[in-house]
Amino acid sequence: MAVTTDETEEQTRAPETVPRRRGTGRIAMAVSVFGELLITAGLVLGLFVVYSLWWTNVLADREAGKEANNVRDNWASGDGGPGALDTKDGIGFLHVPAMRNGEVLVKKGTSTKILNGGVAGYYTNPVKATLPGSDKDGNFTLAAHRDGHGAKFHNIDKLKEGDSIVFETRDNWYVYKVYDTLTETSKYNVKVLSNVPKESGMKKAGKYITLTTCTPVYTSRYRYIVWGELERVERVNAERTLPKELR
Amino acid sequence: MYGWIWRHLPGNAWLRALISVVLTLAVVYVLFQYIFPWAEPLLPFNDSTVNDK
Repeated sequence: MAVTTDETEEQTRAPETVPRRRGTGRIAMAVSVFGELLITAGLVLGLFVVYSLWWTNVLADREAGKEANNVRDNWASGDGGPGALDTKDGIGFLHVPAMRNGEVLVKKGTSTKILNGGVAGYYTNPVKATLPGSDKDGNFTLAAHRDGHGAKFHNIDKLKEGDSIVFETRDNWYVYKVYDTLTETSKYNVKVLSNVPKESGMKKAGKYITLTTCTPVYTSRYRYIVWGELERVERVNAERTLPKELR
Repeated sequence: MYGWIWRHLPGNAWLRALISVVLTLAVVYVLFQYIFPWAEPLLPFNDSTVNDK
């Protein structure tokens, strides 16, 4: 019964809709094209999220992995004394057990190009970082991405007071202990990079390390800062035995 | 729009479906390889340094 009534209704309606079609057809078409464009825009935005949170990580990890191997090869073959050390691919590795992300290659500079390579960069601008190997008092300041491009400092919020940050060079393990964090600060707050970071409560010159990244996750409205102080330096032995913090 | 593309693809339904998949992959490739890397630095999602600029 229902079927037949539907059919008859359609038949009776048909003569009405056919002549009207030309007029509404254009509008209907415009609406459907507009709708399809909106759907397309939604898909493109979705793909952009996939790109920034996943694909950039794949690319960055691949690049950093290659460079890390170069650095290790250089160290293994570098018998030409410290002067001959090639630091183009990186100066060492950062190990932060609390972040659970293995080793992070450290390179010179914090430009987008450097950081997008899946590494942590040490600051050369606006305040120059003091490298641990220089034996001078100062601040070893580093930056890395929170998300995408390797997301090397993604878990920076897991770092608590007393956690260790270990920096590995060819000859030394530099073991730092976190003593303060700043969970939110302005991106213009370059004072956090000072040789004596007063905001962390320190007043005397010493050997500090500062990690910076963006916060909250997935945005870069503010900066997250972690400060540490050098606890001890261990010589690297022939087997490159890990210091006890990393075992 | 998509209906128009579909009607203008050659061959039967299977061939059209195949061409559609290839076209989609080409678009995704162009987005990932050229468009997104260009657009990303222009968007304020991923600065992790402090600076005085």
